[in-house]
Amino acid sequence: MAKVELKSNKKTEIEDSSSLKGTLASVFLLGIFLVVTWASVYFLFLDRF
Amino acid sequence: MHIHKFEKIWLIFGVGALVVFLSVVGVSAFYLGNKPPSCLTTIDPKKVDTEAPFDKPGLNKVEGKEWDYELVYVASAFLYNPGEVEVPLGAKVKVIATTKDVVHGFQVAGTNINMMLEPGYVNEIVTTFDKEGEYLVVCNEYCGTGHHLMSSKIKVVK
Repeated sequence: MAKVELKSNKKTEIEDSSSLKGTLASVFLLGIFLVVTWASVYFLFLDRF
Repeated sequence: MHIHKFEKIWLIFGVGALVVFLSVVGVSAFYLGNKPPSCLTTIDPKKVDTEAPFDKPGLNKVEGKEWDYELVYVASAFLYNPGEVEVPLGAKVKVIATTKDVVHGFQVAGTNINMMLEPGYVNEIVTTFDKEGEYLVVCNEYCGTGHHLMSSKIKVVK
């Protein structure tokens, strides 16, 4: 009897993407830009009458 | 579920920033009572000249209110009445404005006073004029061919 066999010895290659340093840096560059512009506009609002 | 350490950091940062921004706006609106310059008062645009306080445009001293003066403006194509006004430095003023004809803007350049005057509606803003100088009032809503000529002046003097 023919045996139907799934080839289970094939490993899926997963790329190592654990280094997110560049992503972290760019996310924080954008984040700091947003915070600084938001805060400066808010303080401009508070300073004016 | 596995979340990368860095992803956690920026998620917390992003959510934190959102919470801070919304809290500041929320406290400003609901606790400090800041709102767009409208008091939901209506007026018949045809009777602006005869109805108080618009029958006396300009700076009027008032007693027994939270503010010391009322600065009344009537806008029409293409001028503001009064065309020039002097406000004492440090005065707490309620600016009250409306329009007789079309939509006009009312922006005091370099300040937070900026409102849209719509026919039939009265706009108000309370502020303390605590910086000396000359301030230009400009129309920032296109109102017709003379739009660019429409201006007024507020002098804050000691």
